[in-house]
Amino acid sequence: MPPTLTIAKRELGSYFNSPIAYVVICLTQLLLGVLFFFVRNFWQVDKASLASLFELAPFGLCLLVIPVITMRLIAEEKSSGTLEMLITLPVRDWEVVLGKYLGALGLVAILLVSTLVYPLMMFVFPWKLGPIDFGPVWSGYLGLTLMSAAAVAVGLLVSAFTKSQVIAFFVTLVVNFFFVFMHWIGDHVAGPKLGLVLSYVGFQQHIANFARGLIDSRSVVYFASITVVSLMVAFRALESRKWR
Amino acid sequence: MSTEVMIQAEGLTKEYGDYRALDDVSFEVNKGEVVGFLGPNGAGKSTTMRILTCYLAATRGTAKVAGIDVFDDPLEVRRKIGYLPQRAPLYQDMSVWEYLKFAADMRGLDDATFRVRMKKIVEICGLAQSLGKDIGTLSHGYRQRVGLGQALVHDPPILILDEPTSDLDPNEKAEVVKYIKQIGKDRTILLSTHNLGEVEQACARAIIVSKGRVVADGGLDDIRAKSGGARYIVVVDEKNALSGKAPTEAEVEAALKAVPRVQSLRDIPTDDRAHAFELVGGREDDLRAELYKLCVEKGWIALELRREAKALEDVFRDLTRGDELVSRGLAAEDADEDEDDEEDEESKD
Repeated sequence: MPPTLTIAKRELGSYFNSPIAYVVICLTQLLLGVLFFFVRNFWQVDKASLASLFELAPFGLCLLVIPVITMRLIAEEKSSGTLEMLITLPVRDWEVVLGKYLGALGLVAILLVSTLVYPLMMFVFPWKLGPIDFGPVWSGYLGLTLMSAAAVAVGLLVSAFTKSQVIAFFVTLVVNFFFVFMHWIGDHVAGPKLGLVLSYVGFQQHIANFARGLIDSRSVVYFASITVVSLMVAFRALESRKWR
Repeated sequence: MSTEVMIQAEGLTKEYGDYRALDDVSFEVNKGEVVGFLGPNGAGKSTTMRILTCYLAATRGTAKVAGIDVFDDPLEVRRKIGYLPQRAPLYQDMSVWEYLKFAADMRGLDDATFRVRMKKIVEICGLAQSLGKDIGTLSHGYRQRVGLGQALVHDPPILILDEPTSDLDPNEKAEVVKYIKQIGKDRTILLSTHNLGEVEQACARAIIVSKGRVVADGGLDDIRAKSGGARYIVVVDEKNALSGKAPTEAEVEAALKAVPRVQSLRDIPTDDRAHAFELVGGREDDLRAELYKLCVEKGWIALELRREAKALEDVFRDLTRGDELVSRGLAAEDADEDEDDEEDEESKD
């Protein structure tokens, strides 16, 4: 197994060796269920649609789940000294960054897959509440996955700059907050031109496209760009230890 | 022993801003040697090791491990070495087996090789009882053993161990030193420590660093010989004498001080039946005959009379004295004044 996957496997395993994975998955399911069925009144919408799930999920993912998952990635390794042990194994710095990224993204992917329980139980088995168009569901999940990939990369980047998990958590939360609320800022604070730009920079507009069943290549490139740039800067941040 | 150079540092310098952690450090370690890398805290031991293991880059200078430049091919260097960083930082959420398997996977060992290696590691490091335990539940000593185990998992020809016995209790220290001696039979080992007893037990050669510079490099006897003179311990019976009255402490002290070529003298604690003194004489001289004659002439009963090479600890203190003073906020030149003061005190006594 290549070192990247070995690190990813260890990282993913470490979430399940601690309560983090279980707590995050259970609470997310619970919270999402409450918000989806009761706060957004799924039963009164009278339509077999998961649009409100895709509308709500980015807030929970970006403002809570992903900061919790990513805060420890490199910050904990730095503070506990295990980074030295890891990096002095025959592994390249970019393999460490990528391995940790894949491990964290793996947990988010498991979390996203677990939320499929809702549409499957409601529309496939055991209840068949009505015919659902699975096209927007799949594209919505693709959008959430791409957004999570970007947000996890941002969290990893922040974690690479500090030894403190608390700082990593809050900085990731604040950065993600801006990504998630950028469209709101664009609509309410900025002027029409700047508002358009801010809406494009934020996550929501892109997620909305996916939730409608529209896989826009610009949105794919947008999320992929954030991911790649964040990972590259994280790699440089890790490498900079040599020269400081 | 082959003279193939396995670790070579040449003019290594590491600067953190204005602070120079390493200053032109050069040394070589030959194949099969177990070399003690000594120095007080902050002397540059860990920095040197981090450069050798490609964790840090030097500001200037070059380093080669197994003939491979650490800057040109860090991956190959890391394949050749087993490294145990200070305080053995390990993933505490993994079991010992899982952790060692992880280290083996990272080094590309297949399952069959890993199992064969594990048998040896379990035997050498004494891990049989703890393989299934979480690392977080282990004592510090056992964590060091696991750290040593991961350094050995790929059977490397070179081991770099950074203070492997720090924070251990005396029994655990003795155990770890025993392992190092055992694994050092067929490997090149660079062992960083400030515990001189360990070096005397496990190493034939030492490199002493102070304030980022190498201040001594050679066999332990050579290093001892380079610094200061020989020590003599003289213990005289306080209650009885061969002839006449039993001697007083002042008489013994005065007579010993009068022996030619005695450089310094101090009394050392003993029970109330004897006067005990430590003398320092010239490195080339042997004062035992004169001290024996003195005892006979005075009619004293010499309970003990022996010559000791200067302890490595004394040499270490002499060579790294400035570091401690700087740490305490004193000027380095105060070292000489302190030394003079001590000598004055001794001569007053």
